[in-house]
Amino acid sequence: MKRLTAILSILLALSILLGACEQATPTETEEVAVATEAPPPTEVPEVEPTEAPLSAADIAAALPRNETMYFNGMQWGPVACWNPYNANCNNAMAIVEGDSANFVMFEAPYMYNMLDGQQVPLLADGPWSWNDAQTEITYRIKDAAMWSDGTPVTAEDAAYTWATHVKYQTNAGGANGPYIDTVEAVDEKTVVVKAKLNDEGKPVNPLIVKAFLSSTYIIQKAWTQTLEARVGDDIAAFNADTAEDVVYSGPYHKFFTDDTKVVLIRDDNYWGQDASMWGKLPVPKYIAHAIFKDNAAGSVAFAKGEVDVSQQFNSNIQLLWLNYCLPISTYLPDAPYGIGASLPTAFYNLQSHGLDNVAIRKAIAIAVDYPTIIANAMTNQSATFDQVPRSLMNPTPGEQLLYDRDAVADLQWAGNDIEGAKALLDEAGVVDTDGDGWREYEGQKLSYIATCPNGWSDWQAAIEVVAAAGAEIGIDITTNFPEWSVYQTVVTKSDTPLAEGYDIFMMWSAGAGPTMPWGRIRNLLSSEYVGMPVNWNGNWGQYSNPEVDALITAIPGESDPNVLKGIYTDLVRIYLTEVPSFSLMYRPDLFHAVNETVWTGFPHADDGTDPPVPPMVCHRGYSVACLYNVTLVNP
Amino acid sequence: MRYLIQQVFRSPRFLFGFGILMAMLLMVIIYPLIVTYPPLEIISQGTFLPPGIYVSVYDSIDPANRYILHLDDATTKRIASKLGDDDRLAMQEWLLAVGVPENEIDLQDTVKLLEQWENHFDPTVKITGMTNAQRNYYIRLNASLDGILSTEGAIIAESNSQTGSLEQKDIVEQSYYVNVNQVPNVRVLPLGTDNFGRDVLTELVKATAVSLQIGLVAGIIATMIGLILGLLAGYVGEVVDDGIMFLTNLFTVIPTIVLLILISYSIGQEKRGAVTIAVVIGVTSWVWTARAVRAQVISLRNRDHVNLSKLSGHSIFRIILRDILPYIASYVVMALILQISTAILAEAGLSILGLGPRTTEVPTLGLMMNWAMIYQAQILGKWWAIFPVIVVIALVSFSMNLMNTGLDQVFNPTIRD
Repeated sequence: MKRLTAILSILLALSILLGACEQATPTETEEVAVATEAPPPTEVPEVEPTEAPLSAADIAAALPRNETMYFNGMQWGPVACWNPYNANCNNAMAIVEGDSANFVMFEAPYMYNMLDGQQVPLLADGPWSWNDAQTEITYRIKDAAMWSDGTPVTAEDAAYTWATHVKYQTNAGGANGPYIDTVEAVDEKTVVVKAKLNDEGKPVNPLIVKAFLSSTYIIQKAWTQTLEARVGDDIAAFNADTAEDVVYSGPYHKFFTDDTKVVLIRDDNYWGQDASMWGKLPVPKYIAHAIFKDNAAGSVAFAKGEVDVSQQFNSNIQLLWLNYCLPISTYLPDAPYGIGASLPTAFYNLQSHGLDNVAIRKAIAIAVDYPTIIANAMTNQSATFDQVPRSLMNPTPGEQLLYDRDAVADLQWAGNDIEGAKALLDEAGVVDTDGDGWREYEGQKLSYIATCPNGWSDWQAAIEVVAAAGAEIGIDITTNFPEWSVYQTVVTKSDTPLAEGYDIFMMWSAGAGPTMPWGRIRNLLSSEYVGMPVNWNGNWGQYSNPEVDALITAIPGESDPNVLKGIYTDLVRIYLTEVPSFSLMYRPDLFHAVNETVWTGFPHADDGTDPPVPPMVCHRGYSVACLYNVTLVNP
Repeated sequence: MRYLIQQVFRSPRFLFGFGILMAMLLMVIIYPLIVTYPPLEIISQGTFLPPGIYVSVYDSIDPANRYILHLDDATTKRIASKLGDDDRLAMQEWLLAVGVPENEIDLQDTVKLLEQWENHFDPTVKITGMTNAQRNYYIRLNASLDGILSTEGAIIAESNSQTGSLEQKDIVEQSYYVNVNQVPNVRVLPLGTDNFGRDVLTELVKATAVSLQIGLVAGIIATMIGLILGLLAGYVGEVVDDGIMFLTNLFTVIPTIVLLILISYSIGQEKRGAVTIAVVIGVTSWVWTARAVRAQVISLRNRDHVNLSKLSGHSIFRIILRDILPYIASYVVMALILQISTAILAEAGLSILGLGPRTTEVPTLGLMMNWAMIYQAQILGKWWAIFPVIVVIALVSFSMNLMNTGLDQVFNPTIRD
């Protein structure tokens, strides 16, 4: 009996352990260990010299409110590292590269401004320039630009950074490697970025070379060498290094982190106070990100004024000022409250029965009640398709001008067109032959599952509306919400047909950036992603059209605006005719709501700034200018 | 038996609890007969419409339904709805900031105040210390004051299909009224709408029915498992008892909610229907019933009548069924009632964690709370989306517990009156 008990106990314990393995997210345990490390003593700031100096943890526990700007909605777990070469540091306040890179601790030559599409010089001195053949970009680094250790930022740093990305196969190296050949230092301050060339001697993709300038940090050569000495040629160790000793060029650096908050402190010797850059220091001494359990907790703190800048989906945000009279505002005073930059999209699995038929795809797409999706799922935080007719462009004025709207106006459906959808299906011969209320195609009832990840509330609500449209036109659509871990493995596997249960599924599109809208169109339509075992780029429905591919390939090398407009218009026409996927809403890259209890002077529409400061939570891309413009409400 | 039932229905606690439960059951049965809208239909564009009577504006302007009433306070009310005391104070603040002397401002003189406002308000003026939120407020206020003192009616115009110009069709005077009973399209939403734009009351009634079903299924499963295992363990004893108690003890030390979460998660959302969740809850919550039944059976199994049955050569099943079960039946009924109530709470708990039944196939009380919270109803003060659900859960649980204590009063000799 006892032996039986023992065996059973062991079996049970094992089953619990195995069950637990599936639950855990593997990285978090390591991160906690890193995050609780005490910060180095040199970083303890000067405080009132009355008694024994306070530790960073003591100060961080009660930061002076008038010197601290609080954020939420970007950091959802403890910080793992401070290594700017590693894209997976889970360090949203310090290390984010890409089109809307974070410029508070590390800096790139240029900052992207999503409002006017320009790249504003940061470490670079003045605008960059192509050579005549458009094969290399030259820019100069500002004389004033300094590292935190007081040494100047040089062209050699830029060159060495790129070489290191390539050598250690980092994310940035992988993403830009096919397009950038070398980064070279011509002299101490002049940098040349050479594009990789195709067989015709033209750059493979000049747009990506251009975007590289505002999406990738310059990291100090000397520190990189220290790191290399520490890890040798071990790529894994290089990426895993927590880089507590990292040298940076930005205005803030690590002050304190634990699993409740991340605090960065201003570097009062920051080079940017030179007249050639900002001319002053950023106003808040500390920037802090509180780590909340969930959106609801973050919203409560934001409403109470404990958070100044919120990057969360706060549903019905207007009620905070209309009903509760809180000093909260968004970039635009009325709906859609922000600048839509990306197009959350429902993709069709083009191999599902019937979805290879364009009439069925289009019928579902035009029957969907988009106004309800936007009003209910997004609580009006999206422009409507009446305001911004559907295309492949985001709602920013710059992109809207890139295609000929009149030429495709008759294709731009606004939704809710039940009769039109029915007529379309009838015409295509997709009718209800057996009288059960559902239509059949090639003798088989049309029955689909629409899906998106569980817990992604606005997407779930949107998918419900898509399903409701199906019932109206005689196509049976049910919803299913798998966990994200399952969902992402299925959806990003583009080398086999999608699994059952993924007939209509939601994914994102690219937002704003120097390669847009080309990059977004490529993500949505290019067949180059079909066949990838792990595809995080796009075209998850595995659409393939050589004509579209040719048009997409032609864009980067084309500089004539009229020709470009023609190509973009053609692409929109094909997209709206073939309907391989359809956008359900517009969505900002980052939500940006501010509570002016302590700070004011945040960017808002018509705030008089020139160039306009974009609403990118005061530290992404050119939005970092906001940190220099804010003032205290009660000085 | 009849005497027992009479006794039970004389217990005021049982009666009260029973009354509440029956009232809810009646509601669940009768409401769908009267209000036949599908419970999950999305009717509102916009989330959390407040409770009230919604009258079609388009139908209300029909001249056929038009009445003229001369009410003295109509204008005052109209102005007060757009220009409250706080707004007047805010206007004063602005006027002072742009240099209007304080003694010239009379907050009660609406005409003069509005005139001063019109003369001095300029949205482009930057007032030191004014936040963007305040500036937005003033712009909104200014827009709402537009035409506030007008005594003329609103013009209804039609677009001429040929010229595209607007042609006046009708004027709606301020003294026009409509009798709500004569408007063809009126929808009463006693509890408003939820985050999906669904009628909360209709959804709540359906959800209560589903939750009660889940509770009943789960409760019966749990009680049956507990009863069978308890009877076997208690009566057969020895190895069977050891085996069953080993299993029971294992389940006792693992918190039920952890088991529930693990099982629900591993089932996956696509397979989690209401019945599945009920089964999961049922198979994880039989433990205490089994233990208690076993204890009672052990005390019963050596009684004389049981021994007599054994001597008469009756089978185990007959003995259990005829000689033991009737003695613990009252306890089992009480356990069942508690199990139902616990199961309803368990479903709500699971759904709040996002592990409840598949969303939007059927509503359940837990799912309604889950979605209301995802869309921050509790933070935004949308009480109608969350509070009625809590009240229903509390009432179900309360009524069942009352019935349980009522039964206890009747059956338990130590506390019997």
